[in-house]
Amino acid sequence: TKEGVTSLPICPNGSVNCQLSLEELFDRAVKLSHYIHFLSSEMFNEFDERYAQGRGFIAKAVNSCHTASLTTPEDKEQAQQIHHEDLLNLILGVLRSWNDPLIHLASEVQRIKEAPETILWKAVEIEEQNKRLLEGMEKIVGRVHSGEVENDIYTPWDGLPSLQLADEDSRLFAFYNLLHCLRRDSHKIDNYLKVLKCRLIHDNNC
Amino acid sequence: HLLFTLALICANDSLSASDDLLQWPQISKCRSPEMETFSCYWTAGNFYNLTAPRIIQLLYKKSNEEDWKECPDYITSGQNSCYFNASYTSVWTPYCVQLASKNEVYDKKCFSVDEIVLPDPPVHLNWTLLNTSQTGIHGDIQVRWDPPPTADVRKGWITLEYELQYKEVNETKWKELKPRLSTMVPLYSLKTARDYEIRIRSRQRTSEKFGEFSEILYVSFSQIGIGCDHCTEEVEFPWFLVVVFGVCGLAVTVISIMLSKQPRLKMLIFPPVPVPKIKGIDPDLLKKGKLDEVNSILACHDNYKTQLYNDDLWVEFIELDAEDPDEKNRASDTDRLLSEDHLKSHGCLGVKDDDSGRASCCEPDIPETDFSASDTCDATSDSDQFKKATEKEEDLLCLDRQDNDESLPSLANTDPQCQHRNTQSESSHPWAPFADSIESPRPLVHTQISNQNSLTSTDFYAQVSDITPAGRVVLSPGQKSKLGRAQREGCIEQNFTMDNTYFCEADVKKCIAVTSHEENEPHVQEQSYNEDGYFTTESLTTTVANFGGSTAEPPSSEMPVADYTSIHIVHSPQGLVLNATALPVPDKEFNVSCGYVSTDQLNKIMP
Repeated sequence: TKEGVTSLPICPNGSVNCQLSLEELFDRAVKLSHYIHFLSSEMFNEFDERYAQGRGFIAKAVNSCHTASLTTPEDKEQAQQIHHEDLLNLILGVLRSWNDPLIHLASEVQRIKEAPETILWKAVEIEEQNKRLLEGMEKIVGRVHSGEVENDIYTPWDGLPSLQLADEDSRLFAFYNLLHCLRRDSHKIDNYLKVLKCRLIHDNNC
Repeated sequence: HLLFTLALICANDSLSASDDLLQWPQISKCRSPEMETFSCYWTAGNFYNLTAPRIIQLLYKKSNEEDWKECPDYITSGQNSCYFNASYTSVWTPYCVQLASKNEVYDKKCFSVDEIVLPDPPVHLNWTLLNTSQTGIHGDIQVRWDPPPTADVRKGWITLEYELQYKEVNETKWKELKPRLSTMVPLYSLKTARDYEIRIRSRQRTSEKFGEFSEILYVSFSQIGIGCDHCTEEVEFPWFLVVVFGVCGLAVTVISIMLSKQPRLKMLIFPPVPVPKIKGIDPDLLKKGKLDEVNSILACHDNYKTQLYNDDLWVEFIELDAEDPDEKNRASDTDRLLSEDHLKSHGCLGVKDDDSGRASCCEPDIPETDFSASDTCDATSDSDQFKKATEKEEDLLCLDRQDNDESLPSLANTDPQCQHRNTQSESSHPWAPFADSIESPRPLVHTQISNQNSLTSTDFYAQVSDITPAGRVVLSPGQKSKLGRAQREGCIEQNFTMDNTYFCEADVKKCIAVTSHEENEPHVQEQSYNEDGYFTTESLTTTVANFGGSTAEPPSSEMPVADYTSIHIVHSPQGLVLNATALPVPDKEFNVSCGYVSTDQLNKIMP
């Protein structure tokens, strides 16, 4: 089922200098991250069903994502030990790193032969929501951060040529990988945000 | 490898006691209950029994590693399992595991831990009663549970969804509720006489697969003392009766519709030729001779009046009439109007009952000729009714048949035709074809009318100023008064055949002569309609007015319509031109009749 994310007014009742509470900001961020992960998951499943069957993509399991260079917590212990500001910066870094690939994904996926409409609109939707989440995260970071906001965490993406390969098999495998990485990274971000929310807002008692 | 397989198959065939199929060791599943640890399970198959015992190993490799490592824990998860604790688990890292013995690789699987999350079942299920219905037959309960203890929900590391299923104890099919995030859910309208079973399972929020079911929770209302064992069974909805009655009702309705609609079916299949109709006039009324009703209908319509004053309407009438070829041979308007030709005395001279619409112009001009007998005959009355009327001469007319049916034929003969050729003059007033302003006793009128059977080619027109609700036509008061005056003056009533529908020529002359000497008649008599009927000529009144100087009363206080003037020109067959000026002296052509006074004649009569 498609889970819609409604757009809540930033300042209800037209108040001029209103500010959302940190709790509300986190609530929205979590909703968005969950939605993005949900869409990525579905898009990957659809792509897998339609294009990857019988091609042995799974078996290859190479799956090196471009964000692998970012050292993100890999288990609960690490996630609990990392400082929340660092974690926020990491989240921002991952989101920024996906900006570019998502744009290209949305445009290149349309060139896939007989791409289903559902995949197409999901790609566009994910790209859009990612931008919104990035804005929200920057707001949160502005509130939470005591010092400077790091803008250095970022991984460039160089996978565009692989999405434009002439050989259809190779091209589809490139898409498969990209979608797989997207699903994983969106899950990471969703998880980190929930951990942060429980830690900062609910004092570890969600 | 291939040889080995063949050997196994041969060996397999020779065995009869054991399973027929050889099963390789297989990794059945790998599962992480809380995204912190994971385990892989495999089946050894029957291979192990058939050949020399071999040791099966599970090797694993993270994607960024080169070497396969062996399972760190074969015991914790049971037999044929491998358990990876938290230190070995990296959530988003791709793993590959393979089942192998020394030389053989039996199975291989690659995954990442976040993809294989299947939570443990919820624990601590319980229920509480919310309320019961008034009859005690139904009750609502609230079911609560706790998340699986292994899942760290409090720190937000994993988010779980729960699905609850319930059923009556003796049912076979479980009812499902939608997955939800909360750990409590109400169940409504459970039967207190029955016992229920409840079970719950959970899954990670963005996954598709659920974990195992929890233990079953038993709900029994009798345990808490509100069981209603003796309650009557809930009456099931009597579907059968509803269907039966519904079908019967429907059948009855359909049949009644069919029966009642039968006469109309004919109408639907053979619709009558459409003709213009006046609102509110049913042609059937004419057929059946209910002229009174038609009259009242006509009189009651306000737009009836307005139509009288609609010049354009008149012009159209004139235009159409003019084109009728049959008319060309008519000598005068009046002749046409009063044509003896029964074909044409159908009320519409020369106008055939076709679809040209001309017949709609047909108006019973009869009112002109026969006031007494006529009720208001609407100039714009239903052509349809007139068409039908044409077919029956006696029906024509000013719909006033209440009194003398027999007089109608005579009226019909003197029927004016529908056409009023009125070319526009300065006094462009719509004219009421009928001026039925007579309230005098009809019988008298009828007899009198019958005296005037003879047709003349006299054209007689007057202006109708108003239509009374009773259906009488009120002429322009000025004329009325004038005429009244004229009558007083010298137009002795008995000289006028009745109440005036027509003015005989002689009478006219008399009147005119008399009135011409009268001036400024002080009193304007409010004549009853008896006398008014039609004043044939506006010319009459006009001349009277002219001679008499200004009348005591304004011609028409109520309406801003000018008096009719005499007919100036008769462009037969095209129309009449009214002239506001005095009329010429009638000449000898004037026919003696109390029918119409032709314009010419009138013109000649009038000074």
